[in-house]
Amino acid sequence: MKSSTPAVIVIGGGIAGLLSAHELQRHGVAAQVYEAGPRIAGMATSHTDADGFSYDVGAHFVTNRFMAALGMSVNCRTLPRYGEVVRLGPNKHPVYPMGLLGVPRFVRSAMWERVRRPQRDLLNAAERFRRDYGRALADEVAAPLLEAWSGLPADQLSASVIDKIPTGLAQTIWLRAAQRLTKRAVMIGYCKEEPSAAGVFHVYPEGGVAAICQHVANGLEHPVKVGQPAERIYVEDERVVGARIGGRDIETHTIISTLPINRLPQLIEGSSRLERFRRFHFRGLVLVNLKLQGRDLLPDVIVWTPHGFPYFRVTEAAMAMPWIAPENKTMILCEFGAQVGDEVWKLTDEEAVERCVSTLDPLIPGVRERVLGGSVLRQPLGYPVFALDYETDRAALAADGTGIAGLHSVGRNGEFDHILMEDTFWRLRRRIPQIARAHQSG
Amino acid sequence: MGIGSVATEECKVITLEHVPCCICGGVDGAPVGVGEDFEYHTSAQSFLAVRCPSCSLIYLDPRPSMSSLPLIYPDEYHAFAFDAERFGIVFRIRSRLEARRLLRAGRGLPNDAQVLDVGCGDGFHLALLRKHGPPGWQLHGVDNDARAVAAAQQRGMDVENCLIEQSALEPGSIDFALCIQTIEHTADPVSVLRAIGQLLKPGGRLYLITDNTGSPDFGITKGRHWGGYHFPRHFNLFNKSSMRKLADVAGLEVASLSTITSPVNWTYSVRNTLVDWNAPAWMVNRFSLKAAPALAMFTVLDSALALVGRGALLRVILQRPK
Repeated sequence: MKSSTPAVIVIGGGIAGLLSAHELQRHGVAAQVYEAGPRIAGMATSHTDADGFSYDVGAHFVTNRFMAALGMSVNCRTLPRYGEVVRLGPNKHPVYPMGLLGVPRFVRSAMWERVRRPQRDLLNAAERFRRDYGRALADEVAAPLLEAWSGLPADQLSASVIDKIPTGLAQTIWLRAAQRLTKRAVMIGYCKEEPSAAGVFHVYPEGGVAAICQHVANGLEHPVKVGQPAERIYVEDERVVGARIGGRDIETHTIISTLPINRLPQLIEGSSRLERFRRFHFRGLVLVNLKLQGRDLLPDVIVWTPHGFPYFRVTEAAMAMPWIAPENKTMILCEFGAQVGDEVWKLTDEEAVERCVSTLDPLIPGVRERVLGGSVLRQPLGYPVFALDYETDRAALAADGTGIAGLHSVGRNGEFDHILMEDTFWRLRRRIPQIARAHQSG
Repeated sequence: MGIGSVATEECKVITLEHVPCCICGGVDGAPVGVGEDFEYHTSAQSFLAVRCPSCSLIYLDPRPSMSSLPLIYPDEYHAFAFDAERFGIVFRIRSRLEARRLLRAGRGLPNDAQVLDVGCGDGFHLALLRKHGPPGWQLHGVDNDARAVAAAQQRGMDVENCLIEQSALEPGSIDFALCIQTIEHTADPVSVLRAIGQLLKPGGRLYLITDNTGSPDFGITKGRHWGGYHFPRHFNLFNKSSMRKLADVAGLEVASLSTITSPVNWTYSVRNTLVDWNAPAWMVNRFSLKAAPALAMFTVLDSALALVGRGALLRVILQRPK
């Protein structure tokens, strides 16, 4: 490390920022992480309530491969099972994705679509779903779910959003067989950057995502500076020259930002190149957690609900992670697609809980008698929305980055991409060497 | 990683450290396999094998730190006590085969040659040379594990308990060095080969055997169960290409580079799979160093592969430049 080379500034002390600094350090480049909030890991926390239920805010898919790469597998438990089903009607819960092949009308329309497959490029998600899955499955399942978490009609969403949904039937069949054989939750399609394999399975670290962040932070030579919000990024001739952080100007020619890409333009002084990203839109989520009497109440860990429910997904995490709830008790998570300030967003906690309890009966008969309590979390940055309206700019961001030399926008919010934590890690592993080289050469 | 339980204080925890590629110093390794210690269960931790994009070296990153070595080599480790009493017919066949291989590699050496076995373990190969080699050969061994050295000394071998870099042997004194299934255990193979090079006479030879990541066995089972991973004890694993690069960086010439037959990794690839999938003990035990039928079957298979240069082990003869 040359003392004359200023440290790389990393904005954000969440997992993406910490991993960026960790990777830069491995390449011999000094990096300083600045976190605006009072502590690292943002919203990610882990605690157990007085009734013995464990809450992991920011809970995420984590694999044994990712934990081994970070050297923290010792604190992990293996998930014994994981599965998803789609609710098509009373007692009709085909397993996603293979079970859907058992529905004759889906198969018929998919085969018809194969026969008359149009050759033109498809721009919107609705058309792409119909071509790939057939009209019946597209219109009854895929499009309603996409619309629920995106907040836009499928014909106003880019077809590229579908590239992020796992495919590959033969491999899925093999991996599900491996799951049964090994009695482990083999990871099927939850990492885009590295392949699925029978030996890669879901695990969960004690302390959740916050523990992962802490582990990475502990290994950094330069401790994270908290309570230091990024206020300005100075750009001259489309090159980064410094930043103002926590009221202090700092010189550097490399900045890695993990801020949501639509907030980054507000900080830039000296360039208007990022203005086009201001209109990028994140869809929010309202997460309602119900504590219930009983266990294994859902047909599988995740139930997708394309119709008939105000939420698009219901999860019983205790089926996959039995240790998070006391014996014969469980937690049910209902996820609403929402927008900051909309009707769902503004529900009081009691109203949100009641909306779930009053609608869950078809899935969990007698749910009201089982309820032990509930809590609500509002997450404004739920999903990046791949609107057709700004698809060209989104694709340009993915291909060419910010367009300002020395300014890198990384992580799920920074890249505006549907990626999970492990994807962020492997992407950074590939990207940081170039950033490190460019930084060292000035 | 136990289902439903995390490591408690009673469990052994192996401390880990991030490392670069030992050949080129790169830190861009891409994941290849992840697994646990399926053989000795020294910890519940998972280990990641990565491939260096420039050297094609396979290495553990992160890997156990030096302070954890006593934990990952338990007292019952097989290299500390490979004997006829415990391994029966397998011991006798392997002894005969290895003796023939060693003597072929040492052909043309003087009758009073100085021979050094680096990472000699319990002295198995030195004992073979004492029994089958020319009586005038002076045999020496070096091993860093006190338990292995004690086992070798019990056999009456002259063995130093140190790293090869710390050996008291006279530089330029050795005619023939052996490094048999050792280099993959070392933290710094370049340093080890350089140290051996210093001890060799100009023109002196090093006979090196190590697991071959060019084997089809690796290709099939590299995601988790490959026997050659020997998680977490094999830190660096080579194919022909990375072996040439290693020799080059260490300043040694490659006199010969080929592959030879071994059923061991094949057997352990199957065994690790069965162990990992909780197969019954009787099935697991069909695949071990004591299981002659499995060893025989994989010997036949691997012999065919060795004929086309893709056997389970790399056989390398390196030479100190004259």
